[in-house]
Amino acid sequence: MRPLTDEETKTMFEKLSKYIGENIKILVDRPDGSYCFRLHNDRVYYMSEKILKLATHISRDKLVSVGTCFGKFTKTIKFRLHITALDFLAPYAKFKVWVKPGAEQSFLYGNHVLKSGLGRITENTMQYQGVVVYSMTDVPLGFGVAAKTTQECRRVDPMSIVVFHQADVGEFIRNEDTLT
Amino acid sequence: MKRLYIGGLSHTITQKDLKDRFGKFGDVEDVELRTRRDDEGVPYKTFSYININISDADLKKCLTVLNKSKWKGGTLQIETAKESFLDRLAEERQTAAEQQLQQPAAEDKRQKMLDSLSKAGVENFTMKAAVPGTEVPGHEDWVVSKFGRVLPVLQLKCQKGSRSRTLKYDPSKYSHNIRKLDRSTADQPSTDQPTPVSQLTWEVQGGDDDISKKRRGEFPPYEPPRRKKSRADAVNSQHAEGSARSKQTVDSVVPTETPQFTNGHGPPALHRPAPSRGPPLTLGDIDSDDEIRRMVSVQTTSHDALQQEEDEDKLEVVGLDFLVTSGRARRQQKGGPDDEEEEDCDSADTDELLASRKPPPPPPSQERQTLPAAGSINIADKKRKTKTKKKSKAEEDDSTDAEEDVASMKPSCTQQRGKSGKPSSQNQSKKMKVLPVVRPSSSSSESDSDEEDDDEEEELESADYSSDSDYEAMFSNVTRLEISLTDLQRLAEESQDASAEQDTKLTAGTAERPTPKKGTTPEEILASIMGEDSSEDEQQKKKKKKKKKRKAVESTPLPAFMGSRALNEKSGTEGRQKVEEEEEEEEGGEVKKLKLDHRATGSKISRQKHTETETSSESSEEEEEEEKEQEKKVKVVKNMTKKVETDSSSSSDEEEEKMKVNQSDRTAAASSSSSSSSAEEDEDEQEIISAKDAVKAAPPPDPHSESSSSSEEEEEKEEEKKQAHPRVLLGAKEEEERQRKANMRRLAAVQQRQKETEEHKKLIQGALANLDAPAAGAGKHIVFGSDEDEDADELQTTSEVTTPKKTLLQDSQSEAAGDEDDATKEKVRAKPSGPQLFGGSEDEEDADEEKDGSRFDVRPEFEGRSGHKLMELQSRFGRDERFRMDSRFLDEDEDKEEESEKKNIGTEEEEALEEERKKSLSILQSVLGGSQQTSSSKTAGKTKTFRDVSALHYDPSREEHAAFETKTDETKKESKSARRKKREEAQKLPEVSKEIYYDVSGDMKAVFGQTKEDDVAVEDEKENWDQEEEEKEEEGGKEEQPTLQSSPLSADPGAEKEEASGFKFSFFGDDTETGSGETEYKIESIQAAKVSWQQDPRFRDSSSDEDEDEQEQQEEEEEQSNAAAKTTDEETPKKTEIFFFHPEDSRLTEGPRLFFQSSNLEEQKEQWEERRTELRQEYRKKHKDARRKLKSSLKS
Repeated sequence: MRPLTDEETKTMFEKLSKYIGENIKILVDRPDGSYCFRLHNDRVYYMSEKILKLATHISRDKLVSVGTCFGKFTKTIKFRLHITALDFLAPYAKFKVWVKPGAEQSFLYGNHVLKSGLGRITENTMQYQGVVVYSMTDVPLGFGVAAKTTQECRRVDPMSIVVFHQADVGEFIRNEDTLT
Repeated sequence: MKRLYIGGLSHTITQKDLKDRFGKFGDVEDVELRTRRDDEGVPYKTFSYININISDADLKKCLTVLNKSKWKGGTLQIETAKESFLDRLAEERQTAAEQQLQQPAAEDKRQKMLDSLSKAGVENFTMKAAVPGTEVPGHEDWVVSKFGRVLPVLQLKCQKGSRSRTLKYDPSKYSHNIRKLDRSTADQPSTDQPTPVSQLTWEVQGGDDDISKKRRGEFPPYEPPRRKKSRADAVNSQHAEGSARSKQTVDSVVPTETPQFTNGHGPPALHRPAPSRGPPLTLGDIDSDDEIRRMVSVQTTSHDALQQEEDEDKLEVVGLDFLVTSGRARRQQKGGPDDEEEEDCDSADTDELLASRKPPPPPPSQERQTLPAAGSINIADKKRKTKTKKKSKAEEDDSTDAEEDVASMKPSCTQQRGKSGKPSSQNQSKKMKVLPVVRPSSSSSESDSDEEDDDEEEELESADYSSDSDYEAMFSNVTRLEISLTDLQRLAEESQDASAEQDTKLTAGTAERPTPKKGTTPEEILASIMGEDSSEDEQQKKKKKKKKKRKAVESTPLPAFMGSRALNEKSGTEGRQKVEEEEEEEEGGEVKKLKLDHRATGSKISRQKHTETETSSESSEEEEEEEKEQEKKVKVVKNMTKKVETDSSSSSDEEEEKMKVNQSDRTAAASSSSSSSSAEEDEDEQEIISAKDAVKAAPPPDPHSESSSSSEEEEEKEEEKKQAHPRVLLGAKEEEERQRKANMRRLAAVQQRQKETEEHKKLIQGALANLDAPAAGAGKHIVFGSDEDEDADELQTTSEVTTPKKTLLQDSQSEAAGDEDDATKEKVRAKPSGPQLFGGSEDEEDADEEKDGSRFDVRPEFEGRSGHKLMELQSRFGRDERFRMDSRFLDEDEDKEEESEKKNIGTEEEEALEEERKKSLSILQSVLGGSQQTSSSKTAGKTKTFRDVSALHYDPSREEHAAFETKTDETKKESKSARRKKREEAQKLPEVSKEIYYDVSGDMKAVFGQTKEDDVAVEDEKENWDQEEEEKEEEGGKEEQPTLQSSPLSADPGAEKEEASGFKFSFFGDDTETGSGETEYKIESIQAAKVSWQQDPRFRDSSSDEDEDEQEQQEEEEEQSNAAAKTTDEETPKKTEIFFFHPEDSRLTEGPRLFFQSSNLEEQKEQWEERRTELRQEYRKKHKDARRKLKSSLKS
């Protein structure tokens, strides 16, 4: 477990900023204590200082997970967000998409959000903007990337993809073994 | 007979039209007209099938004539159709029946066979003591199989391969467990008459209610699941089963299609038109209707071609600042009936609903008011004591302590009486009555408690009672409703299914039935009113019946069978009601279900008993009643033996006696029953109301529960309605029995009451002992502005304010308003469902609770580190109110020191973290591209603290507030110059011109020379100016530069002052260019001035200069001492001319000279001519050059 290098931090922040923009600052600079990102097994964990200190007592090979896993660095040093980061993305998300109750399940099984399932969308969403997907009851379901701008969404046919699926809470069950 | 399909009919066609039309060709037997409609009900296709007796020839004719003919706006299309499937079915059945007729022959054959077999020693296809495998003598195909069974040897055809062969199947080798086919059962389907064909088809009724809609395949739009109240959840977890049942019952209440369920038997209850439902029920229906309508509209629209557009419309686009709210809230925002529904559905709101829905009291109940609350007076003492504990007790229903329950019950009883005596209470009860939907009043809470109860005996008793009461209730109604036995059976069965446990209990217990009371005349009612106690007792009984379990809990160590009265008395109706309400709130529909179950079980039990005693009497209700009575008598006797009669002094006893008298007076023995029934009904209604509320939240109805509940409810309703109606008088026998019973009950009740009082006293003593200490302490101390007490007082007052009725009633010492109080109380604050530790009197309770609540609050001053210290300080003094520590006792300095120490301790790790954070923030900056202030976490924390903008004051000593200061420096500068300009323009123009005047000169050098001579005062400046001029001249080599220069300078005088050289230079560049354009002209004039007009400023005309001059003049006026003055020297003179002359104006002296010739005319002429030639030459030369240039340019 080590702090992120500048390069890594940058990659990660760039990714995060797609979803929460400048709100990353709130994650880094929290009023309720100091929190930090740590890299462990190519995964980035977000934890409080307290937990960090506790975790130092555990050897690296024994440590499975600490804090909240935000995502992992691929072998090509790209950062990939995990669904576990949803808790921190959802409150700060700049762009949101709400899916209709009928489309919830489809999304939760890993499918993209189609226009027919789109219940509501934040205005001025740009194409390929990271969005957090909510159910109509405002339960965050996951996140993805807007495939169409808000304006396009109005016009496209019902079966076209509006949001590309990236992660959904269904993964907690589907990928239970790999989510740390 | 043929069946024809006729298509292309107009929508307005009728069967008669068709009959007439086709009647010409044959005998039309049946016309089946069908119309297809689209979603909006608009017919788009109409066709028909007709059965017609027609010959082939006629058919042909018919087809040729009518087919494709136009008729009433449609083109007929006639085809022969297949026979209707129903007809075919009927035919098939007929043939089958015919076949059966031939069976007797086969029967004979078989009989013969059997006979022969029996001859061979086979009995019933078994041959004893036969070795398996032996053939039956005389029957080659029959073999003795295992266990001596005689079985036929089968020849099975095997079609495998090309040729078919037969296999012999010897059952003796294979079969071990061949079953004998019972012929009767096997033949059943064929012999039994199947349902007639005409009844095979049906139509789904086109009701508007939920279920029928769903049957038709119309489903309401999706609605996100409602969030259940946490309380309800808890309840559910506790009694998952019960809740499920309750839900079912709840749904059953909704008047959907109970008649269908009860179909064949046709219980009388169903015959009655559905009574007008109370608001709660109808509300649900309405909502569903609305939903359906909406859904339908959505469906229809969805089929439109504009679907896509609609989709677009549906797509919501939300602003960035869209706030995520709970789904429910949003739904509410939408408004409409849904919202109301939701609100109504909250189980926790039952009390409110109750209160809000109380209809005005019905007239018949007024009689009650007249009744003196004799019982209430006697009980007043008890009430008082019990009052304090009522609440707690009610809440503790679940607790198994029988004694406590009893005690609590007592007060409740008294309360009820008070109620009956007082109008307010009456109103309530009446209101309850008014509510349309009557539900079993059994308190679910009681039932729950029963279940929990360890005492089996008690349970049994309670069960008995309940059964009795149920039965009574049922049969009291029966006289009017005439419930058939089958109905009862059905109910019982249902109940059995629902509650197996209860059934077992009930069966075990002796089923005692109160004598059924038929018909209540108004007189009877009166009598019942007079005998309040008795009626109450009966009510209680009924309640008990319904709330069997509850009572069991309440009923302490009573012997097996005490009159229902004892039970009744034990359980205070009021307390029960309270409990019921509360519990119902908590448990929702669960209670209901239980009630229903109880009822059903009760009825069932009674039935069972009947069957036991008189198998033959099952059909007749009266017989059953008699049986009950008999049983009761027996029980009463037992009770008598068991119980010792004690004091008759209790009011209840007296009242009971009265009752008896009344009863005897009246021929109708059922008066008590009637009154009781009425009372019951009241209570029932109350319960029902609460149940209703609970019901709303419940899921779809269970058929069983539905039927039972509905029938019962209806019965009750009817009873209510027809209390006044005359009823059949019971026999004298029954009267006697009843009286005896009543007496028994009374005695039991007296005993019970004594016990209760004792227990009460004990309880109260204990409670008071606990309560006194703190209360006294609080009262005696002198309090120095302690906030707490005031708060408490305020709270009390508020509570009182919220429940004004309550207080009033209390003043009058009547607890009649108990119910209302409860309701109001509950409104005021949501009571915790669990038992409360600090239960006191109602009023005190409120305050106490508030206090208690505040007591456990974490006080803000004890929070945090400093708070901890303070807490320690305080702990030294214990909880003494006088030594309360608050923040003033804290040493701020200490804290600060500590903090600083802490900071000092700050480990390297933290620093590292800090650095890391900073780094990451900087990276973040780079990523986001924006400039973000990196702030350490601490400062960030500070900055995030809330600041009231309105309270913000500017503090000059604080650096941060420098931001609030407005910096005016720059603006001042600019404004200064601008202002100055304006000012200059406005003022001193004349003075300026004066100075300038001196400067006027054509040639710079000459002019300077002159001016020096003329005016000494300006000399210094001029010198400066000269120097500058000279420099310029050297640089540019042009004479006009000064003038040119002056104009730009004038434009920016301020700049000129401060950085003259720089500005000049820059302007120079610009000027040179412009100047070069005008060079020729200027040169000329200047030359002229040099040569001849040296001293004449006027000659130095430059028409273009005039504008500039004005500006210059202004400037110069201002800055007389400045260099600006010098710039204007040449041009200013003209202006001065324009404006005015000074008395000592040099021009006045010089001017006249201009009019004289300074030199000779000839000289001038010569000069001029010379010049002229030069000029001409020059001009020509230039002209040539220009031409050349043109040419060259053209050429190129």
